[in-house]
Amino acid sequence: MFKAIVSAETLSSALDSVSVLVEECKIHLEEDGLRIRAVDPANVGMVDLSLDADAFESYEADGGLIGVDLSRLEDIAGMAESGQLVQLELDEETRKLHAQIEGLEYTLALIDPDSIRQEPDIPDLDLPARVVLEGKDVNRAVTAADMVSDHIALGVDEAEEYFYVDAEGDTDDVHLELTADDLIDLEVGSAHSLFSLDYLKDMNKAIPADAEVAADLGEEFPIKMYFGFAEGQGQVTYMLAPRIQSD
Amino acid sequence: MTDWTEKYRPDTLSAVRGNDKARDALREWAESWDDHRKAVIVHGSPGVGKTSAAHALAADMNWPVMELNASDHRGKDIIDRVAGEASKSGTLTGGTSGRRLVILDEADNFHGNADYGGSRAVTDVVKSASQPIVLVANEFYDMSNSLRNACKTIEFRDVSTRSIVPVLRDICRKEDIEFEADALRAIAENTSGDLRSAVNDLQAIAESTERLTEDDVVTGSRDTTEGIFDYLDELIKEKDAEGALKASYDVDETPDDLINWIEDNMPKDYAGAELADAYGYLSNADRWLGRVRATQEYSYWRYATDNMTAGVAASRRESKGGWTRYGPPSYWSKLGRSRGSRNTRDAIASRIADREGASIATARNDILPYLASMTHHCHNRDLTVEMAAAYELDESEVSFVTGSGKDTNKVESIVEDAEARREGAAVEHSGDAFLDAVRSDGDHDETNESTADSEPANQQTLAGDGQSGDDEDRSNSDADTAGKASDDAADSDAGDGGDGSDGQSGLGDFV
Repeated sequence: MFKAIVSAETLSSALDSVSVLVEECKIHLEEDGLRIRAVDPANVGMVDLSLDADAFESYEADGGLIGVDLSRLEDIAGMAESGQLVQLELDEETRKLHAQIEGLEYTLALIDPDSIRQEPDIPDLDLPARVVLEGKDVNRAVTAADMVSDHIALGVDEAEEYFYVDAEGDTDDVHLELTADDLIDLEVGSAHSLFSLDYLKDMNKAIPADAEVAADLGEEFPIKMYFGFAEGQGQVTYMLAPRIQSD
Repeated sequence: MTDWTEKYRPDTLSAVRGNDKARDALREWAESWDDHRKAVIVHGSPGVGKTSAAHALAADMNWPVMELNASDHRGKDIIDRVAGEASKSGTLTGGTSGRRLVILDEADNFHGNADYGGSRAVTDVVKSASQPIVLVANEFYDMSNSLRNACKTIEFRDVSTRSIVPVLRDICRKEDIEFEADALRAIAENTSGDLRSAVNDLQAIAESTERLTEDDVVTGSRDTTEGIFDYLDELIKEKDAEGALKASYDVDETPDDLINWIEDNMPKDYAGAELADAYGYLSNADRWLGRVRATQEYSYWRYATDNMTAGVAASRRESKGGWTRYGPPSYWSKLGRSRGSRNTRDAIASRIADREGASIATARNDILPYLASMTHHCHNRDLTVEMAAAYELDESEVSFVTGSGKDTNKVESIVEDAEARREGAAVEHSGDAFLDAVRSDGDHDETNESTADSEPANQQTLAGDGQSGDDEDRSNSDADTAGKASDDAADSDAGDGGDGSDGQSGLGDFV
C-alpha cells in the first residue's frame, strides 16, 4: 500500500538527484519515508537518498518496493506547475503507479525490481577530512575546473589549513583555495584525491545553490558528499570513487 | 523456473570445468596484473565458459565487476563514459588502490549504428586503462590488430565430452533426477563442446521426463554455423553438388559475399576445363545476383546459391587433395585500395559533367577516356593546358588523366599555365564588365536578355574553337549591352567574370 501527496518541487529534486547517475532505480516505500540507493553502470558513483514522510503533504506506506524508469517519473513531475501537488498511488493489482496533478491523471507502468541492478552496500569508510561549504561554491569550483580539464583534484592542505581545488588541463590550469573563513566548517586531515569531472558535474546539478554541502575526503579515497533538500526533510549522500592518477 | 546455466554458473574459478589450462592462465594473469597491467582477451567458441570464468575470477579476487555486454548499447559515447570511467577510477570501497574488473563481453561484435565507433573506443579504453580488463570474444581475428596486440591472449577450447558428462551428472544429483549414464553422454556428444548448450538440453529434457534415458535424448544435433574456410575446403575438394549446396546452408555468409569467397579461392585448386565450367556457373550465379539487385526479389538468391555451390562442385573433374591456403576475397581489399583513384576520377567527372552538360556517368565513361588518350602523357601540351584550365584540374588530377607523374615539372608547369590562362580570361571578362558599368544605364529586361546571351561566351569548352571565337561572341554581346545595361547588369557581369566563367547564373545576376 502506498499513497502520498507531495509538492512537485520536492518530488523533482529527489528524482533529479538520483537520475544523474542511473536511468532506473528501486524505490523503497518505507513507513517513515522513501529511500533510494543506486550505483551507476560503471560502479564509480553511488547515491543514497531518503525523503522523510514529513516532507509529504500526506504519506502512507507499508514497506513496499517498486522499480521505476526515472525519466518517465521526472516527466510526470515536470507537468506540474510550481506549487502544484502530485498525488501518487500504487495499484498493487496491476503494479502500476497512478499519478494525479489537478485533473491530469497519468498511469505509469513499473519495472520489475529484480531486473534493476542490485543496490550497493554503502562502504564504511574512515575519511579524515571534512569540508562544509555552500552549494554555490561547489558549483563555482566545478564550473571553473570544467573549462580546462576532465578531472579535478580535491584536497586539504594540513599545514596552511585550507581546502583546495586543482584542475590541470593540457595548457591551462585552475586553482581555487578556500580557507576556514570562506567555508562553513573545516576539519583538517590528510586528503588529496582525483575525481572525474563528468560525475561531479552531474552531481553538482542536483545540489541546490543554497544547500550546505558536507564533503568527506581522504588520501586517494572516494569522496562522500551530504546535503539536504526540501527544507532538510530529504537527505542525499553521494559517493564517488577516485580517478587513478595515470602517469 | 530458473535457468540452470545461471543457477549452476561457477562462482569460483576452480569450479570452471573443462579448460584447466586457460583457467590457470587467467588466474595467473589476474594475480600478476600489478606487474604487467595489460588487458586480456579471452576467446573461444560459445558456451565454453569464458564469461563465467571472468565473473568467477572477479569473485575469487574479490574485485567488483563492471560489465558491458551486447544487450547494452555500445556506441563510442557509452563505452568512453562507462567502460572508460570504470577502467580509470578506483573503487568505492578501496579508493585508488582498490581493483575493479572491467568485463567487455562480445568484444568482437559491434553492430551497426547503435554501436557506432564502438570497437575503436574499446581499443582506446584498453590502452589507457588503470584497471584490469577482460575482453570476451568468440572470434579472435574479428578484433582489430591494434587491439589484439595491446592485450594478452587466453584461448578457451571446446569442452570435451569427458568433461561435460561429470557436470551434467552433478546437476542431475543436485536436482534429484534419475539418469542413465548413456543419456548424459548422448547429450554431451550432441552439443559438440558447448557446455552451456549441454546444460540447457539437459534442463529441457529433464522437464518432460522423470527418468533420463538415452531414448529421451532426441533433441537431435544442434544447428551449428560452419566456418567459411572449412566450407570452401568441402566445396572445392570433397562434396558432390547436393552436399555442397546443403552444407552452404550452415555457412553464415550472404550469397553476395559467398560468391566472392568462392570466386577468389576456387582457382587455387581448379584448372583447365573444370575451371572454365566453374567460372560459367559463377557467372550464372552473378547474373542471378544482378537480378536480385534489379528486382529486389530475394527469392532469386536460391538460384544464385545453386549455381555458385552445386555448380562449382559439379564442375570438379579430378579429385583434389592436400591443403590449400584459402584467403578472404581480394575484391574488398581492391575496393579499399582503389578508393583514392576512384574518388579522383569521380571528382574530375563531376566537373566535366557540370561544364559539358552531360551526366556524370557519361563524363566518366564517354568523355574521360577520350580526354585521356588525347592528352596521353601530356604529348599534346596545349590541349592539356586547355583541358586543365577548362575543368580546373590540379596536379594530381592532371596526372590521373594523362598518366604523367604528379610531381613532374611537366605537370606542374601545365597546371601553372592553365591557372594563368584562367585568370587571364577572368580579368579580360571582368574588365569589359567594368567598362559596361561606366557607360551603362538603361532598361532592365533587355539587359537580362543580353547577359543571358553572353553567357555561352563565358564558357570555355574544348569543343569550341577557342579564345578568338570567344572574343567575337563577347564583343557582340558587349555591343548589345553597351548603352542599355544598367549598373545592376554590370555588377552581374562582373560577378560572372570573377567566377572564372562558370556558365552558370549566380545570385549576383538577379540582384
